[in-house]
Parts: sequence; C-alpha cells; structure tokens
Amino acid sequence: MIIKTKFFAYFRDLFAGRDWDVDIGDGRTVRDALNVLCDTPSRRAEIFAGNEPKPHLVLMVNGVHIQSLQGLETELKTGDTLAVFPFLGGG
Amino acid sequence: MPEFPIPGFHGRVLEIDLTTGAILRKPLDPQLALDYLGGRGLGARILYDTIDPACDPLGPDNAIVIVTSPLIGTNAPTAGRGHMVFKSPLTGVIGTSNSGGTWGAAFKATGWDVLVVKGAASDPVMIDIAPGRVEVLPAGHVWGMSTHETNDVLAAASEPGSPARVLCIGPAGENLVRMAAVANDRNRVYGRCGPGAVWGSKKLKAVRVRGKEKIAVADKEKYQAGLDQALYLMRQAPITKRLLRELGTAGLIELINLISMLPHRNFRDCLHREEDVERISGETLAKTLLDKAGSCYLCPIGCQRHTRVVGKDGKEETGEGPEYETMILMGPVCDIYDMAAVTRANYRCNELGIDTISYGGTVACAMELFELGLLTKEETGGLDLAFGSSEALEKLVPLMAFRKGIGDRLAEGSSRLAAGVGRPELSMTVKKLEIPGYDPRASFTQALGYMTSPTGACHLRGGYAVSLAFFGGTREIPRFSLLQSPIAIRNMQNTGILQDSLGICRFTGFAFSSDPWARMVSGVTGRDFSVARLEEIENRIATLERLFNIEAGATADDDALPPRFADLPVVAEGRERRVSREDQDRMKQDYYRVRGWDGQGRPTAELGRALRIEARKK
Repeated sequence: MIIKTKFFAYFRDLFAGRDWDVDIGDGRTVRDALNVLCDTPSRRAEIFAGNEPKPHLVLMVNGVHIQSLQGLETELKTGDTLAVFPFLGGG
Repeated sequence: MPEFPIPGFHGRVLEIDLTTGAILRKPLDPQLALDYLGGRGLGARILYDTIDPACDPLGPDNAIVIVTSPLIGTNAPTAGRGHMVFKSPLTGVIGTSNSGGTWGAAFKATGWDVLVVKGAASDPVMIDIAPGRVEVLPAGHVWGMSTHETNDVLAAASEPGSPARVLCIGPAGENLVRMAAVANDRNRVYGRCGPGAVWGSKKLKAVRVRGKEKIAVADKEKYQAGLDQALYLMRQAPITKRLLRELGTAGLIELINLISMLPHRNFRDCLHREEDVERISGETLAKTLLDKAGSCYLCPIGCQRHTRVVGKDGKEETGEGPEYETMILMGPVCDIYDMAAVTRANYRCNELGIDTISYGGTVACAMELFELGLLTKEETGGLDLAFGSSEALEKLVPLMAFRKGIGDRLAEGSSRLAAGVGRPELSMTVKKLEIPGYDPRASFTQALGYMTSPTGACHLRGGYAVSLAFFGGTREIPRFSLLQSPIAIRNMQNTGILQDSLGICRFTGFAFSSDPWARMVSGVTGRDFSVARLEEIENRIATLERLFNIEAGATADDDALPPRFADLPVVAEGRERRVSREDQDRMKQDYYRVRGWDGQGRPTAELGRALRIEARKK
C-alpha cells in the first residue's frame, strides 16, 4: 500500500526530503514501513536501537503517537501519514 | 536554626527606596534561603513580606524584587538566569519574569543575593552597583532611549575584566505600557507580566552591575557528580545536543501544526495551509534569515537566533528572533505568515521593550474587534487593522510604546481593550495575561495549566504540557485525559518552579529532571537537598504564590478560560475538542485537591503549617 511520510529536522537530510509517498508493498504496520524506509545502515542507525525505536524518537500516525496506538505494530491504511522526528519542545 | 555562611549564597539583601533615596544593606534570612532557594521562589517570599498584595501595581507601594540563586557563580549549565518578582500591572496578581544572557551571573558577582527596589523617584534614575559601592544616579540622559541604546551607553563604563552589564527598560516601560518588558544584553528579555511598567512607574531606567565576588562550593565531589550527569544527559538528547541550535524554538512550529495545536486568528481555529506554515517554520528561518545561533551564559544548547532582515526602506537590519512564541502570536494568531514582517516587528518590540506574546495577542484581539466594526478606521488613524495586515503589526509597535492614537488603548492589553468596547470575551487571556502559542482545546492538560498558572495564562508558569502530546499514552498521559491532567500539570508546574528558583534554563528539562540539580545544590550548599526536599520547596512556593494572589483579590472564578474554548471546538485526533465549563471545573477541583487547597482554591491553614509558610511579615 502507499502511505505518506513526513520528516522533520535533520531527518529531512537523512531521508532526502520532507514528504514522500512510500509504497510499503505487502507491509501493513508501522514497523513494516520503517523497514522499507531504513534501507541504508545510516538510516537504520538513526531510527532503531536493536529492534525498537531509539529513545527521543517520535513516531506519529495521523498526528497520534504510536504509543497511544499499538506501537510499532500499529496497522496502517492507504493514505495514512506517518510522521518521523526527534523529540522537540520549545518555548 | 541555620546560619550563614551557606556556600552558594552571599547572605546579603540590597534594599533601595527610591522615594527617600535610602540604600539599605540587610542580612538574608538563612531559613528563607534554604526554604525558598532563590530566583522566583525566594523572590515571591520577599515580595510577599515587602508589599501589600492589594497595592496599586503602578504606585510607589509596589516593589521589584530581583533574585539570584545558589547555583549562579558555579559552572552549572545555563546557571545565570535573572529573576524578577513584582505585582503585575497587567494582571493585578503576582508577576514573575526571567531572562538569560549575562546579567544574572553579573549580578551574583556583585556580592548581593537580592535587590529590592521600593518607592518611586521623582526624576529618572539608575542604580549602579560596583565593587564596594551602590549609587542611585540621575538617568535623564538615557531616558527616552531604546533598550539597545541604553545598554550600549551605560555598558561603556566597562573595565577590562569587569564588564558592566545593564538591565533596562525602553520607552514602553517609561510610558507605563502594561505589557512593557525589561531587557539585558540588548535582546534578552524579562517579557511577561509587564515589569517594565513597574520600573517606569518608579522612574527606574536601568540597573548596572559590575563585580568579581565568587561563591564557595561546600562539597566539590558531590557537585561534580551532578554536573557530569547533567552534561552527559544533555549530550544524549538530540534536542539539547543539536536540534535547538539548528532550528531554534521555531523548529517546533510544523510539529505543533501536525498535532492540530497551532492557533489561528485570535484562537478561532487551528486550521492552516501547510505551505503557509512552512513560510514561518524553523527550517525556513534557518535557510533564509538566520545569521548564526547563539548562547546565553554557560549554555551548551545555543537556541538564540541572530538574524537579519530587509527593512521596508530596503536596508538590512539585524537583531534576534523570532522565537516560537513570537512567530505564532505575531504570525498566524494575527493571520500573518510573513516571516520577515514578524521579524521586523520582533526587532521593534525588543528595542522599545514590549513582551512579544502579549503584543501579538493584543493586536489579534484588536483585529477581531476591527473585523466586527467595534474599532473603526477613525479610531485607528486610518490604519487598516484587518487580520493578515503585516503593516498594522509593524506600525502598532511604536504606537503602543509611545501611547499614540490607538496605541494608547492597545497599551492597556487585550483584556481592557476588549472590555472597553463591551466584548471582554474576545480577549484570549487568563487573568488578563495573553494566552501563548498552544491552543488549549488541543491539550486539556495545557488548558488546566493556563487556568491555574499563578501569573495568568502561561506555558511556563502554568506547566509545559505540550511535550506530552509527543510522548503519547504509555510514557506520559494522553493529552485529552481529564482524570490525569491535574496531577500531571501540578508536576510540570513544580518542575518549572524548581528551574526558576535555581536560575537555570527550562530547556535543560528536555534532557533531565531533578536528580542532577539535587546533587549540584547539595554539593554547593553542603546541605542535603534530596529530590523529595526539593519537591517540598516547590509546593511551598506554589502555595505562597497562591496566597499572594488571594490577598491581591484573585478568586477561583479567575481560574477559567475565555468562553471561546468552551463554545467553539477545534478538530484534533479526528474529533471535535473543546474544554467545556463542566470539564474546566472538574479538572480545577481535582487540581485544588492535589495542591492541598480547599474547594475555592484557598490554601488551608493546616497546609500552611505543614509547608512552614510563615504569615506575611507586614
């Protein structure tokens, strides 16, 4: 299926863009999408610590954090937006 | 009973009465130092003991209390923020304001822990503090100057190895603009709650400090353990290691839009076109206007934005900003997405000495009143105050600072402006303080923070709940939970109280919590400040601020959001969200319970005894 991805901060350089439509093939979950996106060792190293997302990494599906959903096993639908960024707060 | 010396403190209070000219040296009460620590906490206590909370905030009976902290004078990261506590002329309740840069550390180096300024001078004055002397000097020659000019003229007294650091107001403070700010290092600002107007009412233009006094550290090993822990954690977290340096606080803008929290048009909705949000994002700022990042004293984070923009006359100007709050309140909240215009208006606010959050919120309110025909072109002197008018955004800054034309009414703040035309509900404020750039309908926790902040609507004193939305359910709390918001916001408020009382920067809180501070404060003072003891101090300060506000006339009814947030929903996470009056009351009652206050939000006598809050001395 095809999903939208959005990157922020230095992930835009890492993933060579702000927004991508990504075909995750037979994949269905956030984990599947990340496995497609992390197709180089440097991308994998920024996103994963072992098999889990690194601390300070925020993953949101349609504006909802995956921890409020089913984590990496959260199921995606065609056209869903997966946002990937390092935790940022401000003033 | 504790006694001085307590390492970390000088043990001295400088009290100046501008009515009589009296300069008094007083001992700092060591029990108060240990019970309230410094900064905002110690300042609140000293203010409470110095003034009648019911006094006229622009009269001679108000006081300005400037306080340093036991960590300032060490090399703890960001340990150099100055804190100022006063009765606010904008809100009528307690005002606390703080700033980075170098002034806080320079003040600590003068050998004073606290400066109290009372009374009022009949002509403009400045306070000059140097080794071995304190003077009140005439300031007529700088009265009328911008914060930048004042800083540059007065800092010329610097000597090698002993730079003179200047804290001053601009014309806005001189003209008693209720949201006037106080500035140091040119562009570091004590912004919120209107301290500049209090200074102006006392005819106090500047406080210049020079000194070389050091502090002792009782247990260097313990202090170093805390320091090492803090620095390590700051290097681990991308936000403190690189993100804030690369993007500044404006880096948050697209993310806040992602979670439907970015306010628009005087908080009518949170709807923006993505391409418009991109025009004001931190990434765009970095690519277009940014010259370089910068840091406050002892700060490895580097979030300052040193920028340049082309002025209306085609000439380039430089300055600092915009930060997140400025970009939002002077941007989309006014329906403006022109970063250059926001930046120029930001520069004017810095130079003239005006809080950018209250300025943007007041202009947005004026725009809504203008849209409804409640402010007319006759009243605005022909200026078109339609939403989206960047011309109005820029032109209104000097009009407000000098109280010219419509600026005179805007100088009173949005609450008085809207009430003056019979529509108080169109001012997006709590306790007359303009709401910051996070929509409360998109986070009930933040909504409760705005309602219960001691200073009025504030994302800092109210508790910074925004990051909860990025952590989600299992790690923190879901942002729409009525049940968990009261305890969560109390915890965040307490964290802020600690940070503000230690004179360090909020942004360290993105990397670590109380543990390293507990070690560092214990190490410096030689006293055992556990995290639990620090929490007791936080609760003490929170209840003291509440007591001040009650005596200033605040009631539980003031802990409420404007009607728009109950009546008009926004869509977030696929559903309509509003903060109904019932939900506000329910969260508020739980919050009072958690704080140990009664159903009317009043601290009980029993709580006062348990926290050892002495009765007001005056």
